[in-house]
Amino acid sequence: MYCVKCGVRLTDGVRRCPLCQTAVWNPDGTAAAEPTFSDRYPKPLKSRRYPILAFLTAILLALSLSALICCLTVLHRVAWSGYVMLGCALVYFAAIFPFWFDRREPLIFVPLAFVLICGYLLYICLYTKGSWFLSFAFPVTMLAGVLTTASVALFRFGKRRRLLKTGILLVLIGCSAMLIEFFEALTFDTKMFLWSLYPVCAFSLIGLFLILCGLIPPWREYVERKLFL
Amino acid sequence: MSQKWMRLDNAALIFPAIRQRRWVNVFRVSTTLTEPVDPVVLQQAVADLMPRFPSMYVRLKSGAFWYYLEELPKPPEVREDYAFPLTLMQEKELKTCCLRVMYFQNRIAVEFFHSLTDGTGGMTYLKTLTARYLSRKHNLEIPAEQGILDWRQKPQAEELEDSFVRNTNGVALNDREPDALRLRGTREPNFLHLTTGVISTDALLEAAHRHGSTVTVFLVSVMAEAILNYQAERCPVRKRRKPVKITVPINLRRLYGSRTLRNFVLTLNPGVDPRMGDYTLAELCRVMAAQLAAEGTAQQMAGRIAANVNPQQMFLIRAVPLPLKSFIMRVVYNQRGESKGCINVSNLGVVRVPAEMEPWIQRMEFIIGTQRSYPNNCSIVTFGDKTCVNMIRNIRESELERRFFSRLVELGVPVLIESNEK
Repeated sequence: MYCVKCGVRLTDGVRRCPLCQTAVWNPDGTAAAEPTFSDRYPKPLKSRRYPILAFLTAILLALSLSALICCLTVLHRVAWSGYVMLGCALVYFAAIFPFWFDRREPLIFVPLAFVLICGYLLYICLYTKGSWFLSFAFPVTMLAGVLTTASVALFRFGKRRRLLKTGILLVLIGCSAMLIEFFEALTFDTKMFLWSLYPVCAFSLIGLFLILCGLIPPWREYVERKLFL
Repeated sequence: MSQKWMRLDNAALIFPAIRQRRWVNVFRVSTTLTEPVDPVVLQQAVADLMPRFPSMYVRLKSGAFWYYLEELPKPPEVREDYAFPLTLMQEKELKTCCLRVMYFQNRIAVEFFHSLTDGTGGMTYLKTLTARYLSRKHNLEIPAEQGILDWRQKPQAEELEDSFVRNTNGVALNDREPDALRLRGTREPNFLHLTTGVISTDALLEAAHRHGSTVTVFLVSVMAEAILNYQAERCPVRKRRKPVKITVPINLRRLYGSRTLRNFVLTLNPGVDPRMGDYTLAELCRVMAAQLAAEGTAQQMAGRIAANVNPQQMFLIRAVPLPLKSFIMRVVYNQRGESKGCINVSNLGVVRVPAEMEPWIQRMEFIIGTQRSYPNNCSIVTFGDKTCVNMIRNIRESELERRFFSRLVELGVPVLIESNEK
């Protein structure tokens, strides 16, 4: 028998071509092909991941519960144990929870981690009766979250134009320093342009250099030649 | 009584260091007889060969500074073959025995951890095992010729030597070269697809000679052409295409007259850059032959050997503790080890056996496992008028196999396809 698509000869009795999966029509209807290998499979390798994850989860749970019990026994209310419990929850969702999944999509888990950090800071702000969350902690955390997610997305989808992407990110990081100082001034009544201009200048200069290297091939080749590892 | 042990040869050093929980570098040689295999007789034959092949009946052990091989107290037990070849040799198994002897219907298969030997050494063992099996089973007198060793003899010192160390010229060759295209696909974790193309040796030789090349160069060129076309279809913008290079193991025994049964191969990566333009098959044959001829000389190879052997002989490196050394080797391998080629095309060449054995053997096969990052690999062996081209893959897509074998059919080489897919 021959495959009409690939032109190769096939062993008698096969139903599909192993190369292109085209169905094979056999007018004689001969018996099924002789197997070339047995039906015996090796024992599948047990995953080490789940027991380790379960162990780490149990440790964090025990830590949270013991902090809560100590706090309730001594102070008869949830005091410092709130920090411990929420801290454990944060560690769990940021560092352990994604590993339960076979496909860890960083574009979901990275923003999730920053949302949880925001929640933790909100708790601290409310507990300490502060007024710095909305005007400082929230925008700064969100800014860091957006920048981190953007870098993950830029480098995850396509490995091309890495110099250009790194340059753009460095410029954005530099500019975000100014925004952080703005929120700092708004919340804590400090002066503007005390420190942010230094990172803005440094990051922007390096970033612009990398953008130019990314756009001008001879520059790019020079940088790669001089800095390869 | 203390057991005998031996150092790993220079090429073997890398394999224990780079092995992973789900990947170990193994290869298989097998022979298909004209009658079903008797496991009891096979077990006896395996036991008979134990004193003759001390470098094969070993297990992997770790010392403070290096891994080493320790002789087994008793021969390994033969077992029935699995549903697919080259199943994972787990760490526990490597510490028990680095060799598997398996049978299924008419087939005797031997799988080796690559630290023990290479394809040529493996084939010598398989041929001697088959000869011993047939002698026991049918009272045949099979002479020790055509690569079959006399099982009653003591092992020769030159069979156990590390030929790399003996054949280095001390001047390390700088082999900096650009990275090649990486083939990709949908991973299938618990299965290896094996597609065997059975080709008439005469038809293959005729096609190769028509292109003015050897069988190896011809098949390497057809493979390169298949990958070039595959890449051109997936990446229409020419300047974004990557070099297509084929990793070709070179048997150094012929170059240096070595008779070692341990590893003695080095690889070359002949290839073309598709950004320079399209290549016809005839051009590919010329380019591949020229590159293999230029790089495969004894002098060039001695330089490549030196590049591997020199670090091994430096006292400071030898004194580094094994875990740190393994870590460094793994890092270097990750950076450079598999980035210079797209696929292995390993041709073991023509296997000959004494006339007394020939009527009992249908065919010989040679299968190399997938690399850590190459999803496909190809191995070739010729026995009589059958050349078996085994293509193995750990991905679902069979596009490369389809292109490669279809192209052979287009070139007037009839191919019979067999597969282990259920």
